[in-house]
Amino acid sequence: MSERLRIALTKGRLQDKSVELFEAMGLDCAPVRNPGRRLIHALPNYPLDAVLAKAPDVITYVEHGVCDLGVVGKDTILEKGGAFYEVLDLGFGRCRFALAVKRGTDFYGTYKTRRVASKYPNVTRAFFEGKGMDVDIIKIEGSVELAPILDLADGIVDIVETGATLKENGLEPIEDVAQVSARLIVNTVSMKLYKNEITDFLSRVERELGGKA
Amino acid sequence: MNIHINTPEGTRDRLFSECLERRQVQSALVGLFRRRGYTEVITPEVEFYDLFVQSGNPIPQEAMLKIIDRSGRIMVMRPDCTAPIARVAATKLKHLALPQRLYYDQTVFRDRTAHAGGSREIAQCGVEMIGAIGGKADLEMVAMAVDALRACGLKQFHIELGHAGFYRTLAGRMKMPQEEQERLRGAIEGKNFALLNDLLEPYRGQDACAALRRLPYLFGGAEVLVEAEALAGPYDSLDYLRRLYGELSAAGYEECVRFDLGLVHQLDYYTGVVFRGYAEGAGAPVLSGGRYDGLMGQFGRKAEAIGFAVDVDAVGACLTVEAPKLETVIHYEPGLLARALAVVDGRPSGSCELSPCRTLDSTMNLAREKGAARVLVIDSEGERWLMI
Repeated sequence: MSERLRIALTKGRLQDKSVELFEAMGLDCAPVRNPGRRLIHALPNYPLDAVLAKAPDVITYVEHGVCDLGVVGKDTILEKGGAFYEVLDLGFGRCRFALAVKRGTDFYGTYKTRRVASKYPNVTRAFFEGKGMDVDIIKIEGSVELAPILDLADGIVDIVETGATLKENGLEPIEDVAQVSARLIVNTVSMKLYKNEITDFLSRVERELGGKA
Repeated sequence: MNIHINTPEGTRDRLFSECLERRQVQSALVGLFRRRGYTEVITPEVEFYDLFVQSGNPIPQEAMLKIIDRSGRIMVMRPDCTAPIARVAATKLKHLALPQRLYYDQTVFRDRTAHAGGSREIAQCGVEMIGAIGGKADLEMVAMAVDALRACGLKQFHIELGHAGFYRTLAGRMKMPQEEQERLRGAIEGKNFALLNDLLEPYRGQDACAALRRLPYLFGGAEVLVEAEALAGPYDSLDYLRRLYGELSAAGYEECVRFDLGLVHQLDYYTGVVFRGYAEGAGAPVLSGGRYDGLMGQFGRKAEAIGFAVDVDAVGACLTVEAPKLETVIHYEPGLLARALAVVDGRPSGSCELSPCRTLDSTMNLAREKGAARVLVIDSEGERWLMI
């Protein structure tokens, strides 16, 4: 008996990239492209149902086992953590976490405790803990670049793609914190109970990713 | 003053069918444990914080619910049942002959991140066999893990076996810094193939590398033992699992037993066979156990030990248990209580209750409000039924 798997896709850019990947694998993703009012999208030619969710919710759904699989950025995984299998680096959605400061300032050259603003306090804490360095972390929900400009913080830890936004605001990245890309995650129990179905799906994804490389 | 009418996060009132589910699972498990010669131990809900640090079982500090008592000592709401039982076995039971077969049916408490849907109270029902080395004791324990989930009424489930020694020996052969070894273990536990490949890339020439790279994939039927051997060469731990599987198969358990050689959690704690139970409908393992021969020594009495715990409510949630429906309300005339009670006691629990009303009219109203189907009137003329 073959089980239908359920996958949670992170809404937005990762969703588009996931759909492109699945279509390249030969999966008919029309229901995801034209969702209408439906919330669960059954793919017609492969036993897979897709739901769309915000990134942290993808992890929540997979962790609780209401979705077997999920596509989510490594940034969210690093920040939120959780118990699941992180089986594949999908290669798209690439960017990095970086520490950025006002251009020309020396972040490390002082004995004073530095204050760092971030949307990702856990990532920031882990990074400075790894250095054995105490910092004050201040959580900012919106444009983090504002914090050093307003002298609220000495630096920021944030997602950097091109660095253009930083540059425009007189900031510069001085150190990489972590590399980020989209990951395929799997619920720990689903992996065991639906081994055949999940292995089939994983190997199709791997074949497609391998073909591109 | 505000009256608090909510329960703290991660706790809940369990009502009706939820209680039945829990009690059904508990009584199935306790019945099995007692038949197999296990006796019950009840330990305090509150213990010294140090006990759980001393046990070497890595429960993170922030996951323990702490209390400071009046003399300033740090106590915790019991986060685990094994350490307290090891404490008892190493002290109060030290003059009793081994092995000791003990079971428990108690709640453990874990502090959780808010709003993540996890419970702070976990009903655990489990067993410990203290003072018996591997072989037959492991066999008995794994067989009982299968029987336990079956006794609860689960249909789709299996127990997965691994061995702490396999990974430990394999990783021990790698010439690699200590902190990288820990990252390696994490990558295998999380089946993080991408990170695992990156970590192993600089060591690709080393002979244990190929097996470590495949380790997260080595789960499934007995064929994974063959594959592991092909990759890593002969290992005592693989041999041991094969023999254990042979004996489990001979006893008719092969359908419910699989392997995951990538079970590498809590490696400082487990010393031999490790296992987990998975059930259809549960998002996390419902049973977890293994051999921890080092634990008793932490409490001053060297003895081998193996055990497992079942997450009672996680199993209960996989079952469909219906709360009984009230069908009959009994209206009896003064002096006829004995007859009325005889009727109630003779019917299925919850399907029948006595009316406390004086008049039949009130009883009829009550039955209507409670959704009962009929009223049984018991008076001097006998018994008669009135339909609602």
